[in-house]
Amino acid sequence: MTKKVHEDQRYVTALLTNDVALVNEIYKKCAGKVKSFVLFNNGNADDAADIFQEALVDIYNQAKYKDLQLTCPFEPFLLLVCKRKWLNELKKKSVSPVTKGEDDLLHIGEDTFEQAEVLAQQQEQNVLFLQAFEKLGERCKEIIRWSMKGEAQEKVAETLGVTYGYLRKKKSECMASLVKLIDRKND
Amino acid sequence: MTEDKILWTARYAEGDLNETESLAYESLLKHDQELKEHLLDYLEAHGSLRMLFAYDNERKSLVSTLEALNEEYFDNIEAAEAEIDTVQPKVTKLSTYLRWVSGLAAVFVLGMLIWAPWKGDLYEQFNAAPQMNVAERGAEKTDLDQAATLFNDKKYQEAKVALSKLNLADSQNAMVTYYYGVSLIETSEVAKGRLLLEELFKGDSVYKYDAAYAMAMSYLKEDKKVDTRFWLEKIPDGAVQFEKAQQLLKKL
Repeated sequence: MTKKVHEDQRYVTALLTNDVALVNEIYKKCAGKVKSFVLFNNGNADDAADIFQEALVDIYNQAKYKDLQLTCPFEPFLLLVCKRKWLNELKKKSVSPVTKGEDDLLHIGEDTFEQAEVLAQQQEQNVLFLQAFEKLGERCKEIIRWSMKGEAQEKVAETLGVTYGYLRKKKSECMASLVKLIDRKND
Repeated sequence: MTEDKILWTARYAEGDLNETESLAYESLLKHDQELKEHLLDYLEAHGSLRMLFAYDNERKSLVSTLEALNEEYFDNIEAAEAEIDTVQPKVTKLSTYLRWVSGLAAVFVLGMLIWAPWKGDLYEQFNAAPQMNVAERGAEKTDLDQAATLFNDKKYQEAKVALSKLNLADSQNAMVTYYYGVSLIETSEVAKGRLLLEELFKGDSVYKYDAAYAMAMSYLKEDKKVDTRFWLEKIPDGAVQFEKAQQLLKKL
């Protein structure tokens, strides 16, 4: 059964449309909490700002390119994403956090954990796709990179010095090669 | 067979199948689990690659908004950190000497990052200031001649004013637009300069690839390598700037 989209989806839309007033509201609600968490866990205000910005851009990307539909409230979702990001950073630096894991987040609903989990999985998937992309031949990489930029495919064909028909055929083949690489990886 | 199905899926998703083939694919899709998974994989891969490579102006605008809000909401570091220091015991205490040395090292690293001589070198090396060549037609200097003199003397502030007037009088003049765009960038009106150069690039004037190269330089100056690459890659073989663009791409 498809879950109902939460009314806080409006914050996701605000990120997509760069609605400054609503994005400001997100900051008002959440920036202080993220800052306190990061400062309390061996970070500084710059770290907090970076984590906060990264999380918001991740949500934007997820919404724009993977059709993210929020099924939980935005605030706990964003806080959870930020906390996980910062705990991962600490892990990379081999620093133990003061806060033990997510014990302090037990009041957060299951939906929020699920949504944050999907976001984290998508990030991992992006890395896998990029690794597969890097294994393709140079011509395929060039065709895919140019095709994904968002320009009219006719223009891409012109830039690459090939016909439109050839570009489409080659792009399908290159994308198929990429999917095959992922398919083998999962076997 | 699996590989054929993957290629078939890619061709379907790319709109590369004719109507009959598409209908056949959709019909099989209803009950072929493997095909469904290939289509999902394809869509996921496509979305991820778009996320990574798309030239996303909306994302850029959002990042600008976030950067501005960060300054407002994440500033006042010392006060907040002092507040935390009162409740958080230090996990490890560095000796005074070690603290001093690490402090010095941090200042050095920060200094190097700001100074960034390696970045400067690359920018200096590849940003040869363009020269505005205009044919003087008489003893009396025209506004265009004067603008060119100012521009070539690197008096960008004054050149900008002169070029702005010329641009206003004839916004279709690609040469004026190009040098006006460069002047704007040189005088910290980067966003406006980029807008003009981007428009110029979209057209078919002889300044098309000059505009692309100038865009790349504007990003190189800010050490934004992805954007620099993006614009350098737009310069095709045969364009005057191609060799230089390729050299820079290798170094980035």
